[in-house]
Amino acid sequence: MRWGSRLLFLAGSVAVAIFLVWLWQLVADNRLVNPVFLPGPDRAWKALMTGFSQGDLGTKLLATVERMFWGWLIASLAGAALGAAIGSSPVLRAYLAPMLEFLRPLPASATIPVAIAIFGLSDGMVLAVIAFGAMWPVLLATIHGFATVEPRLYEVTQALGFSRAKVIWKVALPSASPDILAGMRLGLTVALILSIVCEMIAGRNGLGNWILLSARSFRAPDLYAGVILLGALGYATSAAISMFEQRLLVWRSRAR
Amino acid sequence: MKSGWWKGLVVPVIVILLAEVAMRVEGSTSLSLAAPSDIAVALLRSIADTSLLAATRDTLIAAGAGLALGGLMGLMLGILFGIASTVDRLMEVSVELIRPIPSVAVLPIAMLVFGFGFRMEIAIVAFSCIWPMMILVRSAMAGIEPRLLEVARALRLSTWQRLYTIVLPAALPRIIVAFRLAAAMALVVAVTVEIAVNPLGLGYGILVAQQGLQPATMLAYLVWTGLLGWAVNALLSVAQHRLLGRAATVGVTR
Amino acid sequence: MDAMTTSNAVISFERISLAYGSRAIISDLSLTIRRGEIVCIIGPSGCGKTTALRMAGGLVRPNGGTVRFMGQPLTVPRRDVAVVFQDYGKALLPWRTAASNVSLALEAAGTPRAERADRCYALLAKVGLAGHEHKYPTEMSGGMQQRIQIARCLAQEPSVLLMDEPFGALDAMTRQGLQDEMLALVAETGTTVLFVTHDLEEAVYLGDRVIGLLPRPGRIGIELNVDLPRPRNQLETREMPEFLRLRRALFDFIERAEQ
Repeated sequence: MRWGSRLLFLAGSVAVAIFLVWLWQLVADNRLVNPVFLPGPDRAWKALMTGFSQGDLGTKLLATVERMFWGWLIASLAGAALGAAIGSSPVLRAYLAPMLEFLRPLPASATIPVAIAIFGLSDGMVLAVIAFGAMWPVLLATIHGFATVEPRLYEVTQALGFSRAKVIWKVALPSASPDILAGMRLGLTVALILSIVCEMIAGRNGLGNWILLSARSFRAPDLYAGVILLGALGYATSAAISMFEQRLLVWRSRAR
Repeated sequence: MKSGWWKGLVVPVIVILLAEVAMRVEGSTSLSLAAPSDIAVALLRSIADTSLLAATRDTLIAAGAGLALGGLMGLMLGILFGIASTVDRLMEVSVELIRPIPSVAVLPIAMLVFGFGFRMEIAIVAFSCIWPMMILVRSAMAGIEPRLLEVARALRLSTWQRLYTIVLPAALPRIIVAFRLAAAMALVVAVTVEIAVNPLGLGYGILVAQQGLQPATMLAYLVWTGLLGWAVNALLSVAQHRLLGRAATVGVTR
Repeated sequence: MDAMTTSNAVISFERISLAYGSRAIISDLSLTIRRGEIVCIIGPSGCGKTTALRMAGGLVRPNGGTVRFMGQPLTVPRRDVAVVFQDYGKALLPWRTAASNVSLALEAAGTPRAERADRCYALLAKVGLAGHEHKYPTEMSGGMQQRIQIARCLAQEPSVLLMDEPFGALDAMTRQGLQDEMLALVAETGTTVLFVTHDLEEAVYLGDRVIGLLPRPGRIGIELNVDLPRPRNQLETREMPEFLRLRRALFDFIERAEQ
């Protein structure tokens, strides 16, 4: 019975979404909004298809994804490693936590001009910015995860006589993994945003650049096609991380 | 003061001193970095000639207006989805399709419609604030003590009364937390928009200084932006603690 | 202390005192736990019984006096002194299955990987959890989780089991079941047990000796030998006149101590 109603609502939800798209088409067809600002979904879709078949939209998409991915990977590894070191040492935490808390609200994109000043307009600069920006959520979440390991577990490992390295590997790391994954998820969002902004500013080839140029030359269908693609990318990365989280944290979802 | 409060200052002070020494010795004519003392001078100068303050005002106006707009819409949607589960479930797919669109991806659309200036930035900030606000408010609605809702039914309160006297006060603490997060995001998005395309505000100031090969001013603006972000956060945190104190008693005395 | 008792002593407290700043937690506490004994410690809140147990486990060091294990000073935790905590939820690794949790003790002891699985399964069967080896702690009831912890402690092959109100968070039925299971296990292995509880009946039911501590600061107030026949039985033993006499004595002690 519950399955049935769930399926019904899902179908209804999809129907609502389709209805909204149809509404969009209606608005566009009747020119209720200036078509320069709001092209119909049909034109956006056509631009999307054309972009892939005739244009190099696929290459641009790949470029953005690559940037985002490598930056995020470096950021996650660095953030997790540093976070583990800082989070498991109360001394380091006492000295570093205030400074890190102060840097937390700094907009990552504000570092872009500084990076340009140092590295120039290059792919290296973009990677540095993305890695640096995406590192903060991972770093802070990892520190928190390591700092909040159940003290009782430390007592248990003490009684069993584990070395410090083993304690970190067997207890602290698994205990902190939900936090680390949450941080990595946030980091991925940041990586995507920074990737787009860097492409816009530094003119690197990619989706960010594509949508900006489309807007500047008033090619609205191309613009919307790019935005839809970016939405799909955001959705895909979020789903991928969720799947990864589910596999790794299976013990969380099984609670009574 | 908490014992050991000075520990947090040790590392930053050392870093600043090292930077000062390094810049004095090495890069006195660097076009990309500047010594902390130069940064401080540039900071004071920018404040004195009101350029920094004007930029701050512009960024805050854009972020604030966007937060108000997006926050309000997110609040209303969150309340709607929170209490009308049918509507929530029917809208699920649509929301999940729009939500993942990064706010900067919407930037060119806003640019297309509004051109450059405040309206475009406010629109983007609003778009970015709607979703976190909606999600957190929706879960705040779901997190209301079921016992309180039973009390509402037992007292035969109308929907409006129930909303006003029980639902909203009970959800208020989490709503305030949601607002704080949205505010932090609003500031970040505003600065991001300014860095990317919009010629106003602090982000633009950083960019202009960088392009004008004035590292001291650029870093001064950066430091100031960081301070601003921290200050806004701290202010909201204090406000939250004071309001939460009251909100807790509001639920009880009613 | 004569030669006989010292050689038989597994854990001994020699004039232990512990103070945090100006607050004296335990003062001049001396006791001996002999091999194979089950000693129960009771007392009103604030008497330091949990602290005393933690000292026996090497988790807390006293300011004055010496804690000895087999005659040697005990300053750090030891693998052969196993601690069963009351908050089993916090003492188990939630990301590991039951078998894997028990295996933690074997990993610490350096048991070869090939042997571990069999021994974990055997231990879990011994505590009545056969068939649940691959479940996560959060999927199991409180009683079952406490059994996992006990199994892990048994995997340490301890000479001493320190149990800190292990059944306090469980319902009465589960508690009684685990009491009997514990007695059976200990009878089989001959492990020495130090058992802290606030339940007077439990202390008399389980123990060979019951020590009552006075609060603020903690020191011995009463010591009773429990001369009840083993194996103990939940219905019969609890109705024996000797049981009731001991229970009464402890009850009066607690009443006086709390004033």
